[in-house]
Amino acid sequence: MARTELETPALRGRRWWAEVGWRHVVGWVMILICVLPLVYVFSASLNPGGTLTGSNKLFRTFDLQNYSELFAEGYQDWFVNSIIICTVAALGTVLMGAAAAYAFSRFRFQGRHGGLTALLIVQMFPQMLAFVAIFLILLSIGDVFPALGLNSRLGLTAVYLGGALGVNTFLMYGFFNTVPRELDEAAKIDGASHAQIFWKIILRLVAPILAVVGLLSFIGTWSEFLVAKVVLQRQEEFTLAVGLYYWGSDERNAQWGLFAAGAVLAAIPVVVLFLFLQKWIVSGLTAGSVKG
Amino acid sequence: MTDQKIEAPPVTPDTAPPRRVRGDDSHARNFSAGFVVKLVLVGLVDALGVYGILTALAVQSWAIVAFLVLALVVVNWVYFSRRAVPGKYLVPGLLFLLVYQLFVMAYTGYVAFTNYGDGHNSDKADAIEAISIQNETRVEGSPTLPLTVLNQDGELGFAIVQDGDVQVGSAEEPFAPADDATVEGGKVTAVPGWEVLGFAQIAQQQDAITTLRVPFSDDPSEGSVRTQDGSTGYVYESTLEYDAATDTFTDAATGETYTPADSGNFVSEDGDVLTPGWRVGVGFDNFTKVFTDSRLAGPFAQITVWTFAFAFLSVLTTFALGLFLAIVFNDNRIRGRKIYRSLLILPYAVPGFLSALVWRGMLNARFGFINEVLLGGADINWLGNPWLAKLSILGVNLWLGFPYMFLVCTGALQSIPADTIEAARIDGAGTWRVFRAMTLPLLMISVAPLLIASFAFNFNNFTLIYMLTGGGPNFVGTPVVVGHTDILISMVYAVAFESGNKQYGLASALSILIFLIVGLISFFSFRRTRTLEEI
Amino acid sequence: MRRSIPVVAAMVGLALTLTACSGSDDSGDDASAAPSESAAATGTLTMWVDDTRIDEMKPVVAAFSEESGVQVDLVQKPTGDIGKDFVAQVPTGEGPDVIVSAHDGLGEWVKNGVVAPVELGDKAGDFSESALAGVTYDGKTYGTPISIENIALVRNNALVAETKATTFDELIAEGKAAGKPFSVLIQQGEASDPYHLYPLQTSFGAPVFEQNADGSYTDTLALGGPAGEAFATYLAKLGADKVLDLAVSGDQAKQAFLDGNAPYMITGPWNTSAFEEAGMDISVLPVPSAGGQPAQPFVGVQGVFVSSKSKNPVLANELVVNYLSTEAAQDMLYQEGGRMPANAASAAKVDNPILKGFGEAGATGAPMPAIPAMSSVWAFWGATEAQIISGQAEPVSAWNTMVAQIQEAVDKV
Repeated sequence: MARTELETPALRGRRWWAEVGWRHVVGWVMILICVLPLVYVFSASLNPGGTLTGSNKLFRTFDLQNYSELFAEGYQDWFVNSIIICTVAALGTVLMGAAAAYAFSRFRFQGRHGGLTALLIVQMFPQMLAFVAIFLILLSIGDVFPALGLNSRLGLTAVYLGGALGVNTFLMYGFFNTVPRELDEAAKIDGASHAQIFWKIILRLVAPILAVVGLLSFIGTWSEFLVAKVVLQRQEEFTLAVGLYYWGSDERNAQWGLFAAGAVLAAIPVVVLFLFLQKWIVSGLTAGSVKG
Repeated sequence: MTDQKIEAPPVTPDTAPPRRVRGDDSHARNFSAGFVVKLVLVGLVDALGVYGILTALAVQSWAIVAFLVLALVVVNWVYFSRRAVPGKYLVPGLLFLLVYQLFVMAYTGYVAFTNYGDGHNSDKADAIEAISIQNETRVEGSPTLPLTVLNQDGELGFAIVQDGDVQVGSAEEPFAPADDATVEGGKVTAVPGWEVLGFAQIAQQQDAITTLRVPFSDDPSEGSVRTQDGSTGYVYESTLEYDAATDTFTDAATGETYTPADSGNFVSEDGDVLTPGWRVGVGFDNFTKVFTDSRLAGPFAQITVWTFAFAFLSVLTTFALGLFLAIVFNDNRIRGRKIYRSLLILPYAVPGFLSALVWRGMLNARFGFINEVLLGGADINWLGNPWLAKLSILGVNLWLGFPYMFLVCTGALQSIPADTIEAARIDGAGTWRVFRAMTLPLLMISVAPLLIASFAFNFNNFTLIYMLTGGGPNFVGTPVVVGHTDILISMVYAVAFESGNKQYGLASALSILIFLIVGLISFFSFRRTRTLEEI
Repeated sequence: MRRSIPVVAAMVGLALTLTACSGSDDSGDDASAAPSESAAATGTLTMWVDDTRIDEMKPVVAAFSEESGVQVDLVQKPTGDIGKDFVAQVPTGEGPDVIVSAHDGLGEWVKNGVVAPVELGDKAGDFSESALAGVTYDGKTYGTPISIENIALVRNNALVAETKATTFDELIAEGKAAGKPFSVLIQQGEASDPYHLYPLQTSFGAPVFEQNADGSYTDTLALGGPAGEAFATYLAKLGADKVLDLAVSGDQAKQAFLDGNAPYMITGPWNTSAFEEAGMDISVLPVPSAGGQPAQPFVGVQGVFVSSKSKNPVLANELVVNYLSTEAAQDMLYQEGGRMPANAASAAKVDNPILKGFGEAGATGAPMPAIPAMSSVWAFWGATEAQIISGQAEPVSAWNTMVAQIQEAVDKV
């Protein structure tokens, strides 16, 4: 990547504006739109006892009390819980989803069409009763495997893995299909097994989409609280989303300052993770190697 | 940056991967290493499974036993047979899907055929118990009796102090004077022939003690003494008496009998109903209610149109913006594009719950940022005008949803060969033409199913509507409180829950019907995409 | 590095799975109640508390454990879910033994048979009438009331030093004289707020249901008729005068009062603590009547209830009936939580002028009805008031339509 940049002759003046400059303008405008509502959140996080949207006079106080209070409430535990649960769920989703996408993309078997369609449609099933159903099933599983039952972070992770084969599988499936089969054939002729092709060839070539799916799954579980609050009932086991939900759930006594401070800190890992994963997502190398 | 430079060369050559596979590891060694890993993993799963089966047998969870046995057989067959190659890649994910997702489906499906909901919350035994305890009434004007719990060879009894006299009785024996008992501080502390139970002993057999009824006298109509805390007794009488032999409740005062009815309630001949009832199957009743409940008929058409419009426009706008941004920043000449990209997903990184509240504040007609600051004190009723409220919902959903599409498109764009595009450009194709003829179709291969899924998601996007407008502005005078921005699923909530009587059965049936609609639409649009036919 | 993604992924995954495994074992044993050394442990109670009450409950429950040897495992639940989860989980046998919650879910719990009656016996006399009415449903007592709260008129003493107004109209005039953007703030929102408007409504003699002599509700609606119509007309007038504005929701009202933009606000104790923290000098007064009769707010009662399927009914009753009802326990709850105790003797000792002001304003109030149909009543009520205030609907006819709809909803349940 660095090399290509060097090779491109530096653009100047009008041409730069026409080809690159306007993109910066779009970037700035979009960032402004993205950040604006969050400025309220940030302002509220610096104002103990204030309101979330009561006034447009932002940043009238600058007081870090909310942030220090976070840690008295066990916020750091939630943070660690969320990181662990979401990382495991994201890795599990990527691995299982990629495996399934590989099967759908590279093998021809009975029920393949039906299976693909079913996977997509299952995800659309209303989750309205999920709070009762998940509670009941974890209750019975807990009798047999206590580590997977209620009040278990591992149990919650397992529930999240239940959604591993979903819409993300399609994203990977479509991407896998763009990797020419000739590559597999060549490897097969060289004596590679299907497992070797999967682990050593395909997974590497589809790194961008793995990173995207991992990120999507991470963010999805990061902000999920409907199932988490059913499974986790002890404060020290909470994920960030559940902890924040508790602060915001009571309309009259909601602790917006704490909620806002918690949300600001919670957004950081997601942004950092994306910053870090971009290396894999837009390496610019895959395209060249896929030519086949 | 640095390690990319170092790493780049070995992966770049087109034909490198297959060759390297052979070069790096000898085939035989690799096979055995892989086999060992497989053996260990399947062995672990088997061990866990067998442990699970044994435990499940011990706690008599037959469903779990059956499931585990079946799962173990499938897993072992799939991984040790040479024939089930696709299975090897599908089984792990499918197992999780089966346990956690299909169970929710099955449970919802089951509930749709029952009357589960408020007043029909549990089984019949619970209902009988609840009716019994709710209809046991303290005899008016009866005294507070200091009470001591006694035990005689496993039989429990009560000793009470009434007007200074000690009386002892048990379930079989009504209270009779016991003059030889010791009383200290107004309470009986010893009764010859009985053991006095302390608090810790009472705690050991709480159920037996709270269900013990000692007849107050030989005359049953005088009621019986019971205690809830092991230290105070009151005289109670049952206003409704349950008879297990005939399975009926009888009103002690009027003699009216209540018999169990198919509706899952005890009902008298006059049609009086006792609550709580219990959960029973009701066949297709919940489904037919959709067509008979007049409350659903009112604004139904209007809400359906808006639901489709909302779901479709949400997908269209978020996808268009997400794709546009993905393309804009898919150009490595832009300095700082990593930072741009990372900041663009901010709306996705903050809890949606919070964002919706902030947006509601910003859209406030008099004090919101949009009117007061951006539009210099304009008086635009963003959430109060039916059309503007719809526009606001779409706008906020665009803000919330474009980062997802942006991420997906950024990833999917990487599968499009840059040199093909380059070649088209050299041939003189304009940007728009390249986009229409090459980028978009190629992108659609992997993204089309996601758009369908996104449509389905928005079709049921209850949370957004609920948090931003609550469905409002409301229609005037409709039989259910629904409004211009309500979608089908939020209307289901209004009908099935907000009437103060949560009807999970009805809600399940309605949401399954909605699922059928969405599922069918998705099924047909899915068939029309090229995804399945590819390759 | 790229080469090793799957391997790294697998390793990290394994390591994290293991940590997650080991991490999940430690749940449950550090309940907030510390084990007491003096008394032998006699059992453990599980107690659900909504998140706004948990901090004040911890020391009280610890004292109970110390005294009785009964361990109490406090579980925090979100305010919005505690009632729903209670109904869903009690039948599975996994619910709590004891639940602390606002009383307005009681009707639903009774209807579902998840809550057991308790016998307060002579202790019933220790509580204020409205507190007791809150934990009573269909003539039966289901719990021990611990605190009560209600809304009242809060005055910013820096803007108006003295209130002479005896009617709401005079109050508005007085408020306007202060020359601030708002006179009397009453929080609204797109769906209005019948709870905050209720004192005005009752002052027209239009309470939601008729009440028996003992304060309990009958199922006869009372908000209709000429009294209700008069209130509806008054609402429309307040809306036209911009005294009531749907754009003023909770956040805006609180901030406006904090900023000194309004001399008066009708609100509850949950906001006054923020006002005091901001260093404001405030007084709490009863709401002046708008329609000639006393303006009575709804009284919210926090109660402790016992599950009908508790496996520890004796211990639960020991805690709920014999311990939490006492003056000593309620004194402690007041000190920790700062809400008006339900125990009359404890309440009499409260000398905080602000809480006393709320207490006086709520003295005539009746508890919020706890019938299951209430959620439907609130929905119709709010929607109609919003349409009247915004001038979208003709007040009298809209009000009458609403009464008919509410009647239908109440009949149905």
